[in-house]
Formats: sequence, structure tokens, C-alpha cells
Amino acid sequence: MDEVEQTEAEQTEVEENEAENFGYDDVPGVTLTDSNAISDFLKKTKVQDVLNWGRKNSLWFTVNAMGCCGVELLSTGMAHYDTDRFGIIPRNSPRHADVLIISGYVTKKYLPALKRVWDQMPSPKWVIAFGDCAISGGPFYESYSTHQNVDEIFPVDVFVPGCPPRCEALIQGFVELQKKIEAKKDRGTEY
Amino acid sequence: MDANTIIDSLSGQFPDDIYDTDVESGIRILAKVKPENVVEVCRYLKEDLSFDHLGCEFGVDYPDRNEIEVVYLISSYDHPVVLTLKAILPRDNPEIESVVPVYWNANWYERETYELFGVKYINHPDLRQLVLPEEMLGEWPLRKDYKGFPNKTAKNLV
Amino acid sequence: MLEEKVGPSEMIVHIGPQHPMLPGPFRLNARLRGETVVDSEVEMGWIHKGIEKILENKTYLQGITIVDRICYLAALSNEEAYVGCVEKLAGIEVPERSQYIRVIVEELSRLQSHLLGMGEYASFVGFVSMFMYTIKEREDVLSLLDSITGARITHSFLRFGGVKDDIPPGFRDDVKRVFPNVRKAIDSYEDMYSTDSIYRARTVDVGVLTADVAKDLGVSGPPLRATGVPFDIRKDEPYLVYEDLDFKVCTETAGDVYARIQVRLDEMRESMYIIEQCLDQMPEGPLFAEDTPYGKRSPVMRIPAGEVYHRVEDPRGEMGFYMVSDGSDKPYRVKIRGPVYPTLQTLPPLLKGVKVADIVAIAGSMDTCTSEVDR
Repeated sequence: MDEVEQTEAEQTEVEENEAENFGYDDVPGVTLTDSNAISDFLKKTKVQDVLNWGRKNSLWFTVNAMGCCGVELLSTGMAHYDTDRFGIIPRNSPRHADVLIISGYVTKKYLPALKRVWDQMPSPKWVIAFGDCAISGGPFYESYSTHQNVDEIFPVDVFVPGCPPRCEALIQGFVELQKKIEAKKDRGTEY
Repeated sequence: MDANTIIDSLSGQFPDDIYDTDVESGIRILAKVKPENVVEVCRYLKEDLSFDHLGCEFGVDYPDRNEIEVVYLISSYDHPVVLTLKAILPRDNPEIESVVPVYWNANWYERETYELFGVKYINHPDLRQLVLPEEMLGEWPLRKDYKGFPNKTAKNLV
Repeated sequence: MLEEKVGPSEMIVHIGPQHPMLPGPFRLNARLRGETVVDSEVEMGWIHKGIEKILENKTYLQGITIVDRICYLAALSNEEAYVGCVEKLAGIEVPERSQYIRVIVEELSRLQSHLLGMGEYASFVGFVSMFMYTIKEREDVLSLLDSITGARITHSFLRFGGVKDDIPPGFRDDVKRVFPNVRKAIDSYEDMYSTDSIYRARTVDVGVLTADVAKDLGVSGPPLRATGVPFDIRKDEPYLVYEDLDFKVCTETAGDVYARIQVRLDEMRESMYIIEQCLDQMPEGPLFAEDTPYGKRSPVMRIPAGEVYHRVEDPRGEMGFYMVSDGSDKPYRVKIRGPVYPTLQTLPPLLKGVKVADIVAIAGSMDTCTSEVDR
């Protein structure tokens, strides 16, 4: 019990110190800033273009095969289509990924898990709705267990239609996403 | 083992429980069983007639007849005969003995039939939902009078 | 209900539903003591889409499109089981040429499924280069399938009483060009598998399933044949023209993970042999029987009332459809019996007592297709 109390005391101490830190704004000659302020500043300059150039050429995507489209998703990342040459690399961990590909029907049971995968991905991050099921429900639009209107839940940037779309279509989807990022029209970054 | 001997042996062993037997072809036979004794019938099928492979178990809903049929597709690894065994239950309170003690893989089939049709399995080791989220239990979506189908929540429906 | 049983110095690890080792979303909850699995349970239904209910509300012809999407790696076997049910109920004759074409596409489908399954499996045990190799060959096989059916994964190719199209001109040449390469590749895979000491250490004597246990658990397909039981629907209950074709049922005796992969390797060779025989033996003729009321031009058809069970050999085992018809243009009830459903149930008994690292090796070797389990 003592230890718990001690840590609680330490925490309040830390909070107090932090509260004191805010006072440095008043000291002449000292300016403090946080990362948000830096990125807000950069967004207004040409540096953001360079950042976006880097981002659009390293779109790593999560491998979460959720349906028929998931098989095409696997094939796209592998030897024959070889998206590595565009900087589009399949990653197994959502922590490493920039692009979430919703590759199938989102069911009522799976939606919380998918949201969690989305939350685990670090910003900036984008969503591609791959296949008819993710766009409009596809053949399962009337099912009792699927969740419709996925684009209202996730900020989808690119829709790739098809049932399932071919691998070339997914690559085309990535190219469209790159164009959007370059034009600063994507929904993954706030401008 | 051919179809006719199987049917004869089955109805000879359980004259009171097996009825409406039929030989559709050399590899498909049909029988109905009284729900009370389905476990004994299955045990006899497995141990004496080498029907050691429960292919499937599922429900069929008949609202006009006020019945739910539980169908067992039982086949064998040794001979090509498939037996369709049916148990007819009342639709209001469908209850039947679980066959998990005989066929181990009936476990999931029974859980699925429970959540989709509402058939209660007595003495099932772990009767709870399998494929649906927990909040959907009790809706019995595969019954014919289920209201949630078709799902109209999608945008731009024609 | 693992949570209730956790003892001292035990913990529960949830694997999935989104996990790189899993071919589709399912969750494996393992209760561990140290690094050993004491108990485990499988949770599924993450992509349950209610196909059985949807089929009840579609006409028979529309249903072909839906059954494609039950298992995306064996779409043609699903179609065969569904179309076979309707043909049995309505008494539709399939001309011999159509039957041969069906065998060709179904065996091509088996070939591509095994290629993907094997490669995926190799990547689960850390052999990612193998995935790259097998996908390369799979693309060649898919292009063959594509040239017949017009689609890579979901084909909608079979029709009641026939098939949608004849094989294209030049298909025989394509087969002659592709198959030697695939054969050579399969030999090299076998070579790699049997000589790689790390791969062998991870697979030999791991996850052993004996014949009696496998039968008791209701397993079918390659995991059963790896235990030495020659159970194959193509031989035991021949459909299409499998009776006229010469092929052997591939079995192994060890029943471990290595044997399951070996069975798939052998089956791929047999599949190619079957396709070549079909191309040699295939007679000329129409795709649909003369003056049949059911053809590809009849979108609405009524099927006589009745019940039927039709089963075929999927790449993963026994795939069966039970269909109840009430005489209308839509099926009254369709039950899909997938092969992976019982196979996935065997994981808890198989995983008892293994180390955590072997969970991946064992679960992957079953070549699970979650979409078909959940339906």
C-alpha cells in the first residue's frame, strides 16, 4: 500500500512540475514549442511537399486477408506483381503499416477488431476499400451479420471496385492514393 | 455393406425409434428417428455399422408444419453409403439430446444449430454462440420468420 | 471459457483475429504454463456472412455466384457441389465434354490452392522465400484458369447441365508450356523441404495425428490422407468422369506436419496428370444436352421438390451441399458442409502440450480457409 501511495505522490509531483513548465513562455528570449506546432508550421511551407514525396513512396500496407479479395492482396505483395519496387511493402504488424486495406466483408463481430487494428496504426495513415464488399456490401449487402457503409466508419481515400478486383487494380489504387497525397487531397493528413 | 442390409439392421435393432425408412439409391439412405433415442441410435450406427464419420448436422425450419427438423448426415470412411437421419422437433420448444459423446465433431455443429435455429441440446458440454456476436443470440436468424433479413441498412439500395 | 480455468503461474494468450500467421480471421485462445500450451480454444465467425440465408433468397442461377465466395481458394469445387445438387434433383444430364472441362478446371483450382497453401505455410514457419516461389508458379496456373473461365478467383463458370464456355483455342499449347515448369518447380520445392534441416526440425514429428484419432475427429482431405487413410471422394463416390481417369490417392503414414505438406505436393502432380489425361481423352460434342429445358439461357428455373446430398473432393477434403427444394425457383434450405470446419475443431486436442512456437506450424499445416468455416 505504501508503494502505491508513493507512486501517486510522485505522479502529482510530476503534474505540478509540468504545470510550472508552462510558465517558461513568459521568460524573455525562451520560446518553447511542441511537435504539433512544428508540424502545423511545416504544413504551410514547401517542406510538406518533400514529406509527402517521402510518404507517397513508402506506402506499407497491412496484410489482413478478410475474404476473397484477401487472396489477391497476398498475390499483389508477392513475387509476380512485386509492389516492392514502388515502395509498397506488405507488413504483418499494423504498427509498421501506413495503409489499411479493407479487403472484404466487415461483419458485426469483426468490426471492433478492425477498428483496433486501425487504432494501432501510427499516423499518417490511409484506408483503401478493396472490393465490392467493402464499398457497398457486394453480394452480401442484405446479410444479417455484415456491417454496411464501411466508408462512414473509416476515412476511405480510394475505392477499388471489383469482385474481387485484379492485382493490377490494387496497384492502380495505390497510384491514385499517391496522386492524392501529392496533391494534398488525402484524408489521412490534416492540412 | 450395402444400403438394404444397413436399413434392415437399423430398423431391426430399433423397431420403435426408427420409422419412414427409404433407400434412395445404393449410396443414399434415409431414416427418421424419435428424438428421445438419437444417442443410442448413433452409438449403434458408429459401433456396429461402421458409420464413423458425422458429415454434418443442421436444422431445417418448417413453419407451416410447426416443426424443426434436425438432420444428421452420417457417412463412413470404409463404405460410400450416406445415411440421412432426421429427428423432428416441435417449433415452440425444440430440445434434443446432444450426440457429442458419440461423435466428437458434433460440438460445433450443435452450437451453430443452437444459435441459428434455437435448438437446445441437452448435455452439450459447452452450448453457447459460435459464429454470431453475443448480442445476436436469441434472434435465430435462419428461421423462416426472421425479421432482420434482408438487411436494409446499406446506402443507395435500388 | 478458458478464463475460468486459469491456474497459478498460467496465462492466456489470444492469437488473432488479425494475425499474420492466420490465413483468415479466427482467434485461438491458448492457456499457457510457461511456454507449453495446456489448453486452447478456437473462436470463429469473424467473417460469417450468412451465405445459407442468402441462398434461400436467390434463384438457383444467382446462387452460383454466391457459392463461389464460400471458399475463395476452391470456388470451382463449391460450384460443383452446388450445381451437382441441382442436377441430381432435376435429373439433368451433363454431356461428356462438359464433364471433362469441369474436371480440368477443378483440378487446376486444386493445383493453385495447394500452391498457395503450401507457400503460405512455408512463410508461417519462417521460410518466406518459398512463398515467393510458389506464388510465381501459381500465377502461371491462374492464367490457365483465367483463359478458360475469365476470372482468377471467383469464376461463376459452371451451369446446370454444362459449363459456360468451351476451352479456348491454344489452351493445349499453354498447358504444354506451363506444366513442365510447374513440375520442375514442385520437384525443387520437395528438394528444398526435404533437405532444409531447419524446416525439417520444425515439421517432422510435430502435431502428429494418428489415423484413429483423425477419424474420430471427423477430419477429411490431406490431413486425413497424411495419416494413411485413403479416403478420397473422387475414388469412393466418383462424380463426373473421375471413374474413367487414372490417378492414385496420395497418402503418407507419419501423420505429422511434414506428411501433410508432402501429401499436397504429391496431389499437385496427380492433378496435372489428370488434366493431361482429360485433354487427351476429351470427346468433341456440345456443352449442353440437346433440347434440355435448362441451359445457360434459362435464368428462372423450377426444380422438383426433394432433398439431396452431393459431395465432392475439395482441395481441403469433403465438400458437401445438402439441398431441400420445395418446387419453387429458389432453394428452401441449403446447408454447406465445409471440409475445414471439422479440421479446425481438431486444433485444441492437437495443440495440447506443444510449445508456443509450434502453434503456428500445426495450425498452418491444416490449410484452413476461414471463409468457408464461417460461411
